[in-house]
Amino acid sequence: MSETNFIIRKVAVLGAGVMGAQIAAHLVNAGVPTVLFDLPDPEGGSGIVTRAIAALRKQQPAPLAAGGLEAFIEPANYTQDLGRLAECDLVIEAIAERLDWKRELYHKVAPALGAGAIFATNTSGLSIEALAEACPAALRARFCGVHFFNPPRYMHLAELIPCRACEAQLLDQLETFLVTTLGKGVIRAKDTPNFIANRVGVFSMLATLANAAKYNLRFDVVDDLTGPKLGRPKSATFRTADVVGLDTFAHVVRTMREGLPKDPWHGLYAAPPWLEKLIAAGALGAKSKSGIYQKKGRDLLVLDPASGRHVPAGEQADASVLEILKIADVAERFSALRASAHPQAKFLWASLRDTFHYVAYHLSDIAHSARDIDLAMRWGFGWQRGPFELWQAAGWSRVAEWIEADMRAGETLSQAALPQWVREAGRTGVHCPDGSYDAGGKRLVRRSQLPVYRRQLAPAALIGERRDLGETVYENPAVRAFTSGDGVLVASFKTKAHSISPEALEGLNQAIDLAEQRFRALVIWQSEPPFSVGANLEALRPALAAGDWATIGSVIARFQSTSMRLRYSLIPTVAATEGYVFGGGCEFVMHCDRVVAALESYVGLVEVGVGLLPGGGGCKELARRAARESRGDLLAALKDYYMAVATAKVAGSGIEARQIGYLRESDVVVFNADELLYVAKQQALALAESGYRPPLAGARFPVAGRTGAASIKAQLVNLLEGHFISPYDFEIGSRIAEVMTGGELEAGTEVDESWILALERRHFVELLKNPKTQERIVHTLKTGKPLRN
Amino acid sequence: MTKQIQDAYIVAATRTPVGKAPRGMLRQVRPDDLLVHALVSALAQTPAIEPALVEDVVVGCAFPEAEQGLNMARVAALLAGLPDTVPGVTVNRYCSSGLNAVQIAADRIRLGEADVVLAGGAESMSMVPMMGNKVAVNPRVFEREENYAIAYGMGITAEKVALQWRVSREDQDAFALESHRRALAARAAGGFSAEISPLEVTYRTADLAAGEVRTTVKRLSEDEGPRADTSLEALAKLKPVFDAKGSVTAGNSSQTSDGAGAVVLVSEAVLRRYNLTPLARYVTFAVKGVPPAIMGIGPKEAVPAALSRAGLKQDRLKWIELNEAFAAQSLAVIRDLELDPARVNPHGGAIALGHPLGATGAIRTATLVHGMRHRGEKGYGMVTMCIGTGMGAAGIFEVF
Repeated sequence: MSETNFIIRKVAVLGAGVMGAQIAAHLVNAGVPTVLFDLPDPEGGSGIVTRAIAALRKQQPAPLAAGGLEAFIEPANYTQDLGRLAECDLVIEAIAERLDWKRELYHKVAPALGAGAIFATNTSGLSIEALAEACPAALRARFCGVHFFNPPRYMHLAELIPCRACEAQLLDQLETFLVTTLGKGVIRAKDTPNFIANRVGVFSMLATLANAAKYNLRFDVVDDLTGPKLGRPKSATFRTADVVGLDTFAHVVRTMREGLPKDPWHGLYAAPPWLEKLIAAGALGAKSKSGIYQKKGRDLLVLDPASGRHVPAGEQADASVLEILKIADVAERFSALRASAHPQAKFLWASLRDTFHYVAYHLSDIAHSARDIDLAMRWGFGWQRGPFELWQAAGWSRVAEWIEADMRAGETLSQAALPQWVREAGRTGVHCPDGSYDAGGKRLVRRSQLPVYRRQLAPAALIGERRDLGETVYENPAVRAFTSGDGVLVASFKTKAHSISPEALEGLNQAIDLAEQRFRALVIWQSEPPFSVGANLEALRPALAAGDWATIGSVIARFQSTSMRLRYSLIPTVAATEGYVFGGGCEFVMHCDRVVAALESYVGLVEVGVGLLPGGGGCKELARRAARESRGDLLAALKDYYMAVATAKVAGSGIEARQIGYLRESDVVVFNADELLYVAKQQALALAESGYRPPLAGARFPVAGRTGAASIKAQLVNLLEGHFISPYDFEIGSRIAEVMTGGELEAGTEVDESWILALERRHFVELLKNPKTQERIVHTLKTGKPLRN
Repeated sequence: MTKQIQDAYIVAATRTPVGKAPRGMLRQVRPDDLLVHALVSALAQTPAIEPALVEDVVVGCAFPEAEQGLNMARVAALLAGLPDTVPGVTVNRYCSSGLNAVQIAADRIRLGEADVVLAGGAESMSMVPMMGNKVAVNPRVFEREENYAIAYGMGITAEKVALQWRVSREDQDAFALESHRRALAARAAGGFSAEISPLEVTYRTADLAAGEVRTTVKRLSEDEGPRADTSLEALAKLKPVFDAKGSVTAGNSSQTSDGAGAVVLVSEAVLRRYNLTPLARYVTFAVKGVPPAIMGIGPKEAVPAALSRAGLKQDRLKWIELNEAFAAQSLAVIRDLELDPARVNPHGGAIALGHPLGATGAIRTATLVHGMRHRGEKGYGMVTMCIGTGMGAAGIFEVF
């Protein structure tokens, strides 16, 4: 162990534009002290940066993981503060994409950099080699590209691009930092224009544009076809362009046009005339409130490229084509798409085909393996599946034949022949359990062996890869519990959105039994987000319809006893959360001995949305925590918890969940969700190793009592009179107050957990009996949205 | 029944400048320190009266707890350097507390039980919030729906008055704008200089880098509330605060404030003995109850009651300090009582000048006395206000 620790103590970000400021925000999210630089303002101070920092608080989606973090970004300017670069171990340049400006800046800052500091550029288009040459020679060994995607907190991808002189060890160190500390998915890219994700993503958009024109499709229809129904983000194609900014999009296209003169698709690298016209008219997309889409009052308009006018939007794709997209089997889906004569189906096939053609042709120049392209598209563009894995699932050689047939028919966007490796005998794809295909090296390459990836015990697998989810110890229709031989039992839900059904309760209890018998700890972890959307209300509907209150009562009691077992079982229990942690899911988490939350954990007791209250121990837990935290004024300690429940407040991050109090200070926030299971197991084993015993049951704590409830109701009555809540909201709020303050007791009376659990059950059932709650439940199950009645 | 045996006279009336709460210029000044400043300044205006002659200090405060708890009147009297022999009492009727302090002081003199009494009021809404630091509502409030209004915030009651008396949003905003206009005009004409006792405030901040306390000292001589930059357009843009469908906004409500006021009251005998020139004579006071849900209408009952006790017709009132808790209730009262808008708050009201709850009665008594004298008005004037949980109070003074 003679190797010195690599620690990044502090980071500087140069350039306080949206990207620079948001990278700085994510750094402080991760607890990394950050200095943000820009030009001095006219008075010579750092006003430009101060304003950029202030703006972070208002941006959506929130770049900051919790309010107040922005105070940890230090504003600085190039005139007064270059001396502060000396203490920064990593400096990220994120100024405008102008080589001359960057060169000038590099020469200005170089003398101020610390001796071992890494100097990285966040360029999205310029050549890393050209930028390395713009650096003073001595700096080149420490220079590379780190390309974050917008918004950097939420987009998982960071492309890492070395220059020729860059030290290998430094890249490994930086990759480690990006993966664990910032939670990024790192792809090592080659130094080609737009690197990997933007190269393929922008090509795919251009191909979509070209094929939409060819098949004469409206833009809103194209977006309906190329959004979630195709496994891509809601913003689909044209809305993505609006969000990115049409000028930015055109700039990226221009980069490809200028940087790729010999590319067989070179002719496609041009902004269509309608796009040029929009840009010339200042309609740049979301930032100028007008672009391909435009809002007029309540109406959404979309550009009609033929007339150049905006027309009412909202036209949907043809039902028969959407039916094809619903076919679960990828091979069947592709067969149906290719067989269909419908122009929308032809368009979809053509767009996918051209992208397949493109990535196959370019694989050797732009990426180290097919996996890097697929992961880059998943992580950088939000595609559910990358192009290669889709192709592989659709039937490798069959699709290759189709591409060639289309080429012969003159349908493809280029006549470039598919590379020889595509048509190799016996090829069934590019991904297999032994690795992914590297067209440059003509070999299979495994996932990175960098030590940091040992922390990713079961990263999401591409089609064709194998994912190691251990050996099954127990399984029922709702829960699977497995082990990897390390003494930890891992329980995962199999239900839709990991909702909690009676079978899930049964399975979780079985898992706790097994863990107590044969394991050292239990971890609740899901193989993909969300952690859980809460109780499965659908499962309660038959009993509800029959008025079978006994059954309903027993389900709730079972819910509560499961929460209590998570706390009082004889082995440590750890919840590993990512995505939604709602309702009953949140209640389980609150009862585990420790929570390991991915940064992107959205935690809340959201029961009031369906006219209920937390009935699985959530109210009890917050009342108990308030009593512990109170120093004399119990109601003051309870009030914020009450408001969180009564307003169904959802934390926007694991860090915020800790601030609100759903999580405790001792709970852990992990930035890379792929490391969740590893960290959860480490925590569980550490608890076990520490001689774990559950807390002693039966502890008493004081409640805020009738006066506490009345004081809460005094606020509610003002909201009611002020028309901010409905009379039924008032009733629900009053019942939550009664539960959390301990019912008909005087303030300060001591109770135990079961006292409040009984109140939870009683009021939960009484609310459930109310037709208005039943209306809310039915409405939410039907529409996915809350009903205010 | 006890008879009034002599009159009570005001020989000094003053106040601090009023700051915005909770982030204004007095946010760091304790209310008892504000009160000390007001008491000392009032006594300084009557140097002939020895402090030992003061027979009681009566102080109003709406939330007498924490920084303004512990019987603030007695604490402040001692801190003001009054001898141990001078007692003190803190009284509370929410927004009329300061006026009640004047009334209680005057009545002690009128009954012949005292010759010199200090009255005042102090409130820091920066330090002690509305409803106090620890809210503990009686559960019986929610046993019967007709008692819910005990729990209403003042804003909701203003909405109810606006609705019942049909006071439009436009009228409320126009009234608010006029309050600012009058306050600024009065300030420009020196209308407040006689009543405000400027205050020196030391601000302390932690210079974390240097590890030192940084202090800055400011001399404050003007109210912080009046805004020259407001307009009907700006006011119209504000969203209703208390009722999603309502008309009461932050712009047409009184400002939350910090401040204190003090008044020296003496008997005729003391006037003669020390050859003092009285500023005003205390005439009478009335307080009435109304439904808590429409507390803002309180003055509608209290004003006629006070006039009737004094045997005066309404048109004898030359200046009415009607506390502008909300434009909605002010307009409802003005319209129902047919008050002359020109005589109501000629120097602006609480929408511009601020409303430090329990201090307001004492502060506005100073405004009435000095405002009338500034404009050369002599005769009867009134201080009136609505009061939380449904009351109205009115005091009448004869200004010389």
